[in-house]
Amino acid sequence: MRWNAGRAKLLAVVMMTFGLIATACGSDDTVDLGSGATSAEASLSGTLKGSGASFPDKFYQAAIQAFGQAQPNLTITYEAKGSGGGQTDLQGQLVDFAGSDDPVKDEDFDKFAGEFLYFPTVAAPITVAYNLPGVSELKLSGATLGGIFGGSITTWNDAAIAADNPGVTLPETKVTIVHRSDSSGTTANFTKFLAAAGGRGWTLGSGKTIAWPNGSTGAEKNSGVANAIKAASGAIGYVDFADAKASGLTFAAIQNKEGEFVEPSLEATSLALAGAAVESNLLYNPVNANGKGVYPIAAPTWILVYKQQPDQKAVDNLKGWLEFLLTTGQESAETVDFAPLPERLLTKARAQLDDIVVTGASSTTTTVG
Amino acid sequence: MTVTSNLSLTPSIGRFPTRRGRLLRDRLATIAIVGSFIVVLIPLAAVIGYVLAKGASVVDWQFLTTSPIQNRPDQPDTAEVFGQVLKFGMQPAVIGTLVVTGLATLLAVPVGVFGGIYLNEYGGRGTLATVLRFFTDCMTGVPSVVMGLFVFTVIVLNTQERTGLAGAIALAFLMLPVVIRSTEEMLRLVPNDQREASLALGCRKAGTIMRIVLPAAAPGIVSGALLAVARAAGETAPLLFVIGITYRTNWNPFAGETTTLSVQTYMNAAQPYSTAVDRAWGAALTLIVIAFAATIVARIVTNRIQARAGK
Amino acid sequence: MTTDAISTPTNQAPLSPEGRPPGRVFDQLFRIATFAAAIVVLVVMAGILLTTFNEARPWFQERGLASIFGTQWVPISDNAGNVVDPGLGAGALIWGTLYTSAIALVLAVPVSIGIALFVTEIAPGWLRRPVVFVIDLLAVVPSVVFGLFGVAVLVSPLGNDIYGPISDALAAIPLLGALFHGSSGRSYMTAGLVLAVMITPIITSITREVFATTPSALKEAALALGATRWEMIRGAVFPHARGGVVAAVMIGLGRAMGETIAVVLLVGGAANLGVGLFESGETMAAAIARSFNESTGVQRSALIGLGVVLFVMTLLINMGARWASGRSERRLRAGR
Repeated sequence: MRWNAGRAKLLAVVMMTFGLIATACGSDDTVDLGSGATSAEASLSGTLKGSGASFPDKFYQAAIQAFGQAQPNLTITYEAKGSGGGQTDLQGQLVDFAGSDDPVKDEDFDKFAGEFLYFPTVAAPITVAYNLPGVSELKLSGATLGGIFGGSITTWNDAAIAADNPGVTLPETKVTIVHRSDSSGTTANFTKFLAAAGGRGWTLGSGKTIAWPNGSTGAEKNSGVANAIKAASGAIGYVDFADAKASGLTFAAIQNKEGEFVEPSLEATSLALAGAAVESNLLYNPVNANGKGVYPIAAPTWILVYKQQPDQKAVDNLKGWLEFLLTTGQESAETVDFAPLPERLLTKARAQLDDIVVTGASSTTTTVG
Repeated sequence: MTVTSNLSLTPSIGRFPTRRGRLLRDRLATIAIVGSFIVVLIPLAAVIGYVLAKGASVVDWQFLTTSPIQNRPDQPDTAEVFGQVLKFGMQPAVIGTLVVTGLATLLAVPVGVFGGIYLNEYGGRGTLATVLRFFTDCMTGVPSVVMGLFVFTVIVLNTQERTGLAGAIALAFLMLPVVIRSTEEMLRLVPNDQREASLALGCRKAGTIMRIVLPAAAPGIVSGALLAVARAAGETAPLLFVIGITYRTNWNPFAGETTTLSVQTYMNAAQPYSTAVDRAWGAALTLIVIAFAATIVARIVTNRIQARAGK
Repeated sequence: MTTDAISTPTNQAPLSPEGRPPGRVFDQLFRIATFAAAIVVLVVMAGILLTTFNEARPWFQERGLASIFGTQWVPISDNAGNVVDPGLGAGALIWGTLYTSAIALVLAVPVSIGIALFVTEIAPGWLRRPVVFVIDLLAVVPSVVFGLFGVAVLVSPLGNDIYGPISDALAAIPLLGALFHGSSGRSYMTAGLVLAVMITPIITSITREVFATTPSALKEAALALGATRWEMIRGAVFPHARGGVVAAVMIGLGRAMGETIAVVLLVGGAANLGVGLFESGETMAAAIARSFNESTGVQRSALIGLGVVLFVMTLLINMGARWASGRSERRLRAGR
C-alpha cells in the first residue's frame, strides 16, 4: 500500500480512536466490594477542596477513597501542607474545609471571612521517632525530652537518657533534632507537651512554629520529618503514628503523668481522650492527660468549615463528607492507625452538623452545649 | 572557492613523524570514536530496559483503565480501605495525557503550519520574516518551566482556575515554534517550478499553496508535527503549575483540574515508598510507548518521502 | 484540476471591472490568516517578557541587587524568631545551574563529537540511518523518565558505593579533594550525568550536520596528500566545523540550563556555592519546580524572577550560538 499524507493521518486517527475507546471501555471506579454493597444513594456531586494538617493526612486520604465509592460523583481532594497553610487557605476561601491540629489564635479570627466551626475527626499519638542503629527500645521522660529538643542534651550517651534507660548501651553519636519547617499543628501539640512536662530543659514555649536550637534539621510535613529521621543516623524527631509506621521508624516510650513509660498506641491514645474536657466549640486538649496507661502525647485534630456556605449544594456536600468521617470513618479509623473519638464527643460533633447553613438562612437548630 | 586555506595538516603530522606513530594515533582515534557511540548506547539501553522491565510488571489492563488513582502513596493499586478492597489505576492520567496533548496539537499544528506557510511563501527574505524567524528560534529556546510560569500568570491567575486547557496552551506554545520551523523547511523543499506552473495556469497564490505546495510537503509536515507531539506528551514542568491535581478522570479540558502521565510519574518518583515508585515505572512505560509510537510513525513517513524522492 | 483553469481563463482575470472574482477574497483572507499565525510568535514572546517581568518586580524591588547577586536563597531566622537574612538571593542557584550544566557539557561534548564523527566519517552507509535513529530515540525519552531512572536506579548505588569511597580516597589531595568531595546520591554529579545523556542528542545532531557539510574536495585533498583518517578529520573537518561545533555546544548548554524535572529529582535541593561534585546543590529551574505551587507573596515573585533570569540567560546563549554559527558560515562564504 502506498503511503501518503492522507493515509498516515488516517492511521494515526484510527490508532488514537482505538486507544480512546479501549480506555473508555474500562470501567470508571471499578469496585470490588468485600462486604455487601452500600445502598446509599449517590446523590452528592461536585468538588470539595481541602488543605491543612499533614497529621491526619493518611486518614483523610483513606476516607476520601472509601467515601468516593459511596459518592462517585463527588470529588474530594485534600492537600497536606501543614495546619498553618490550611488556616491561611480557608481565610482566603481557597478551600472548602481546612485541617488543623491547632486551634485558631485569637488574633487570627479577623482574617477569616466569617464564623467557622471546629469538627473533631480523629486523634493519634505523636511518636518520638529516632534513628539509632543498635538501640531498638528507648524510654524517655518529659524532662529528658525537654533537654533533647531544647538543645541541652547533645549526645545519645548523655546521663539523662541513660538514667531513663537502665541497662541499655547508648552510643556516643551526636543528637540531631529533626523538626517541622512549616507552620504545623503537630509542632503545636508536641511543644504543648514539652511546655507541660519538659521541665527546666524546655524554654522555647509552644506554637505552630518556634525557634528550634541551632544545628537542627527542618523538614516539611510529617512525611518530610520521617524521611529526614530515616536519612540521618542519630536523628530524633516527632512524627504522627501513621507516618512513622509507614516509614518503618522506631519510636520511644514516653513517661506519662503517672510515671509509667507508655509506648505510642491507639489504645493508650483513646485512654487519653476519655478524660479530656470538651469545650462548647468542640475544642479539647488530650495532651499530658491524667490516668493510667495513658500515652501523654496524644494529639487531636479538627476540620474547620465556615458556618455559612454559598449554596445548598456546598452545604450538602460538606455535611455528607463530615458525616461520613464521624460515622463510617470512626469505625475504620484504627485500620489506618488513627484512634476514633469517644462517643460523647461524636454525638456533639454530629449535632453540630446542622449548624452548617446556606448564607442568609438562620441557624434554626438548637446547638448542643 | 579556495580549498587549501582550511586544510592544515602539518600540525597534526608534525609531532608523530613516523608512519607507525601516525597509524597508531589514527587507530586510537577510531577506537575513541566508535567507543563514544557505544558509550551513549549504554544509558539508552539501561533506561529503556528498566522502563520495560519494571513497567511491564505494573502495566496491565487494570492499570490503564481503572479510575481513580491511588491517592495513598504507600499503598498498592489493589488495596483495602475501611473494609473494602478497592482497585486503582492510571486511567485519569492516560486520559489526561491524551486530552491535553490532543488539544495542544489541535491548537499548535494549524497555527504552526499557517505560520510556516507565511514565512516561506509570503515572507521570503523580507525584514519582517527575518525578525519572525529570529523570534521563532528564540521561542524554541524558552525553557519549558518558564513557559509554565507564563501560562500560570496569564491564564491561571486571571481565571482563578487550573484546567487542562491551560496545560494544553502551555504545551501548544512549546510545540508552536517547532512546527513552524519544520513546516517552513518542508515547504522550502517543494520545487519552485511547481508553484510557477500553477500560477502560470491562473491559480492564485492561496490556491497554489493549498492545492499544490501543501500536499507535496504534507508528509514532512505531518512527520514534524508528530515529533512535536511526542515531545509535548512527555512534558512535565509547565503542567505542574497549571493543571492542578485530580485522582478522577476528567474528560473536559475546559473545566476542572486534571492530571497526566508525566505529572503522575514525577509525583510518584518523588515518593519514598516502593509502591509509589512502581506506579511511576508503569506511568513511565505508558508514556514512552505513546512517545515512541508517534516518533516511529513520523520516522516511517519520513522514510517513505525519502524513498520516493529516490535518495 | 488544471483543465478547468485552461478552459476558462477569464474567471481569474484580476482586472475585471465588474467586481472581484470570488477567488480573490479567499486569497486575501488566506494571506491574512497566515500572517496572523506567524505573528502569534511575536505576541507570545512579548507576552512572556512583559508578564514575567511584571510579576517578578516585587522581588527586584524588595531585594534590589541582592535578588540576583545575593547568595542566600533560604531565609534565615535566629532563635528569637527575628529575620537574620531574608534570603531569596539567586546567586547560589545561578552557580548551581552553571555548575551542573558545565558537568553535563564536559561529559557530553566529547561523546557527541565522537558520535557525529562516527556517523559522518566511519560508519558504512547502511549503518548511518539506524545510528541516527537510535540517537534520536534518546531525544524522545521524556525528561521525567530520566529523572525516575536516576532516582530509582542511580541515587542509592552512587551515593553509598561510589561517591563515598572516591571522596575518601582523594580527600587529602588539595584541589582534587575539594572537587571530589561529598557522598550524596542526589548531587551535582548525578544531575550533571543525567543531563549529559539528555543533551547528547541535540549536540550530536547539530555537529553531525556541520561535519556532513565539509566539502568533500577538502577531505579528498587531505587524503590524497597521504593523511590518515584522523589527520584528515583534524585537518579538514574540524577547522571547517569550528563555528558549528561552538554553536552546538552553546545550544546544548542552553538546554542543560533549562532542564527542570530530571534535575529537581536528582540534584538534592540544597542551594549553596559548593564545588564538591558529590554534594547536594540546587538550580534555578529545580528551585522553581520544587517550591512554586506552595509559594506566596515575595517568594512566588522571586520564583517567577528566577524564570526571568533563566530565560534571559538561555536567550543570550542561543543568540550567541546563532552568532557563532553565522560567523563561520560567513567566513566560509567569503572563502577566507
